[in-house]
Amino acid sequence: MHNKPLLEGEGLYNLIPQRDPIVMVDTFFCADETSAETGLRVQSGCLFCEGGLLREPGMIEHVAQSAAAFAGYAPYTRGEQPKLGFIGEVKKFKISRLPRVGESLHTTLRVMGEAAGVTLIAAETRVDDEVLATCQMKIFIKNEE
Amino acid sequence: MEKNELIAKINETLAEEFEVEVSDITPEANIKETLQLDSLSLVDMVALIESEFGVKIKGAEMVQVQTFQALYDFIAERV
Repeated sequence: MHNKPLLEGEGLYNLIPQRDPIVMVDTFFCADETSAETGLRVQSGCLFCEGGLLREPGMIEHVAQSAAAFAGYAPYTRGEQPKLGFIGEVKKFKISRLPRVGESLHTTLRVMGEAAGVTLIAAETRVDDEVLATCQMKIFIKNEE
Repeated sequence: MEKNELIAKINETLAEEFEVEVSDITPEANIKETLQLDSLSLVDMVALIESEFGVKIKGAEMVQVQTFQALYDFIAERV
């Protein structure tokens, strides 16, 4: 697990289309062709927080934006604009515990397969050594014509 | 693993994942039609083949793999 950020804060704006107050990933730790790691410190003012906890939609949004950042990183390193991406499906989403305000999420993404322009990604979100959530997500990246 | 064993394992794996009867899977049958794969679920089969058999199917190769017999041959040549 990587702990030294490659990009953080508004640096992530180079990778994802979301902007405050809807940004749900604040750190990009690393990436290669088949995997990436991202992070998020849960803030009390977060739109997806309720009762001191980051609720389920926020967890899904964090993973979705992590996948978007992963997809946007390769174009970014080539000096290109991130391509538009769509989530085709979210499945097998399992949450064992909702994160508390102040906790730092660390999410690992791994490409499980690619076919017909669709990429299947497995995601695992941890706080320290505790796995809080896992899921699979299909993303489709639109190539400009 | 003998090819017959491999074929049986492929059939069982696909039948369980895509919720079809093993008897529906025949060598000459079309994969997409039999497993009811669409553009989104095709990647599920690619990921499953890679995780279960360690064989990666690239996009261009997928075009050649239309029937189960073609899939058996593709995997058998690479395991």
